[in-house]
Amino acid sequence: MQCIRARSLTKSYGGAGRPAVDGIDLSVGAGSVFGFLGPNGAGKSTTIKMLTTLIRPDSGDLSVFGIDALRFPLEVRRRIGVVLQQASYEPTLTVSGALEKYGMMWDVPAAERRRRAGRLLEEFDLSEIRGKRNDDLSMGQRRRVQVAREFMHDMDLLFLDEPTVGMDPAARRALLDSLRRRAKSGLTIFYTTHVLAEAEYICDEIAIIKGGRTVAAGSPESLKSRFGSGREVRIRVPSRDGRIPALLGGVDGCSVSVDAGTEIRVRPSGSNEALLRVLRVLGSHGIEIDNLSAAPANLEETFLRVVEEEPGAPGR
Amino acid sequence: MHPVARLVNRNLTISLNPGFLVWQVVFPLIYVFVAGFAYSSLIDRVPFGGRDLAYPAYLATGMIGFNIMNSTLVSGVIIWNDRRNGMFEQIMSGPFTRTHYILASVLTQGIVGLASAGLIAGLGLAAYYDQAEPGLEAIPLVVFAAVTGSLLFGSTASIISTRLKTSEGFNVMINTVFLFFAFVSTAFYPAAGAPEPLATAFYLNPLTYLVDVVRAGMLGGGLTDLVLAEMAALAVLAAGLFALATRLLTRLDF
Repeated sequence: MQCIRARSLTKSYGGAGRPAVDGIDLSVGAGSVFGFLGPNGAGKSTTIKMLTTLIRPDSGDLSVFGIDALRFPLEVRRRIGVVLQQASYEPTLTVSGALEKYGMMWDVPAAERRRRAGRLLEEFDLSEIRGKRNDDLSMGQRRRVQVAREFMHDMDLLFLDEPTVGMDPAARRALLDSLRRRAKSGLTIFYTTHVLAEAEYICDEIAIIKGGRTVAAGSPESLKSRFGSGREVRIRVPSRDGRIPALLGGVDGCSVSVDAGTEIRVRPSGSNEALLRVLRVLGSHGIEIDNLSAAPANLEETFLRVVEEEPGAPGR
Repeated sequence: MHPVARLVNRNLTISLNPGFLVWQVVFPLIYVFVAGFAYSSLIDRVPFGGRDLAYPAYLATGMIGFNIMNSTLVSGVIIWNDRRNGMFEQIMSGPFTRTHYILASVLTQGIVGLASAGLIAGLGLAAYYDQAEPGLEAIPLVVFAAVTGSLLFGSTASIISTRLKTSEGFNVMINTVFLFFAFVSTAFYPAAGAPEPLATAFYLNPLTYLVDVVRAGMLGGGLTDLVLAEMAALAVLAAGLFALATRLLTRLDF
C-alpha cells in the first residue's frame, strides 16, 4: 500500500528562473523508512514542505494515505508528524512543559499526556533536564526535545528533516534504533539526512535528488550495486614511498589514490585484472605489502557518484 | 477542545511568564502610585469632560488604556517569536489552519487586554476612587475600549511581526511604535498645554482615543461627541488593521 504518491511536483519561488523542485515523482510504501537524500540546495526541504502541505506545489498531484493533499491538507496534517530541519521550540517552557503543551495542542487527553511525557523523557534521556527551560538547553538537547515532542501524538507518517543535527553519537544511535522499532510497528518514516551512514542504517528505500529532480531511487543495496564502483581495495605498505603515485598512475582499468601516508586505494572499474597489475607493479619495484583488504561500496560513495555523474534539472 | 482554544491555551501559557507579569503589573502600578502622586505637585488638576480631575486619578485611568496597548503589543509579538523560534511553521504543519492561528492570536490579545484593563482598574482603584463617577455605560465603554484596543494594537504588532525579517529591525520598529503610542498620547498627561504640533499629534494617536473612552467610562463625562468620534475611529482603525494583519498572515511564506 502506498503512503505517499507524488506525481510531477513542481515548485518555483518568486522570480527565480529555475524551479526549486522540477517534476519530482515519489512513491513511499506504508510502513517503510524512506530516505530522501540530496546535496544542499537540491530541493529536499521544498519537497518536504509540499508533502507536509506547508506550501502548495505549482503543479503536480499529491496524495497521502490516498487523500488528495492539495484539496484536503488539514486531513493529511492530522495524521502526520513533522520534525523540521529548523529548530522549533518555546523558549520559556521547560522540557517537560514543552512535551505536555505540545500534547495539549494535539488534543491528547491530560492523563495520556502525562504518561507519554514520562515515557519520552526516559526514552530520549531527558529526565535529568526535564525542569530546564528550552532556552537554556544545548543545541543537541533541544533537538532531542524537538524529536521527542513529536511522539506526544499519534501519527501514521513521520517526516524527519535532518533530525540528528547536533546530537552526540550515542543520542544519534538511540534515536535511529527508536525509529527502527517504530517503523517495525507500522509507522512510515520519511527521513532526510546528510549523514549517509544513518540512511544506510535505517532506510528501506532511498531517493536521491539533484537540481529538483529525482536522479536515483531504490533500496540501499540496489543503489550501491547500480552506482557503487564495486569494491575498493586498500593496500597498506610498510613505509611511505614517493615513487608509488607515478608507478601506479599508468595502470589501466582502475583508479588509484595514494594518501599522504602509507595507504593505497584501488578501485577497479572492470575486472580484477587491473588489481593484479597494481600488485605486479608494486612487486616488480620491490615495494612490500603489509596488508591488503577489500571494502564494499558504501552509500556515501554511491551518493557522491550519483550526484557527480547524474544530470539534474537542465540549466542547474 | 477546539483547535482555536488549544492555541489560545498555548499562547497564554507562553505569554504569562514572570517577566511579562512584572511588565504588565508592576510597572503600571509604579506609574500610578509613584509618578502619579509625585507629579501631582507639578500637575495639580487636569480638565477632562467638563471636570477638573486630580492628576493621580487622571493617570491611573490613563494607565488602564496604556496597559491594554502595552499587553496586546506584547502578545502580538507572539507571531514574531513563533517565526523566529520555528513554531509558526511547526504549528502550521500540525492540525491547524491559518484561520485557527489568526483567531487564536486575536482571542489571546483580547483576553490579555481585558485582563490587563481589569487588573489595573482594580489595583489602581485607590488612585481614582474618589474621582470615579461611573454611569451605566462605564462597563460597556471599558469593554469596548479593551476589545477594540486589543484588536488595534495586537494587529499592529502582528503586522510588524509579519513584515520584518531581522531581530534588529523588529526591535527598533516595535520600540519606536511603543514610544509613539505611549508618550505622544494623553495616557500620561493632557494635550491641553502641550505645544503645537505635539498637542495635535496626541490626537493622531489611537491610544489617546482609547484612554479617553476609558476615562469617559470610569470617571464620568459620558458619551460626548468627541468620545463618540473617538470610538468610531477606534472601531474603524481596529477593523482596518485587523484586516491587513490577517491578509499578511495568510500570505506569510515558510
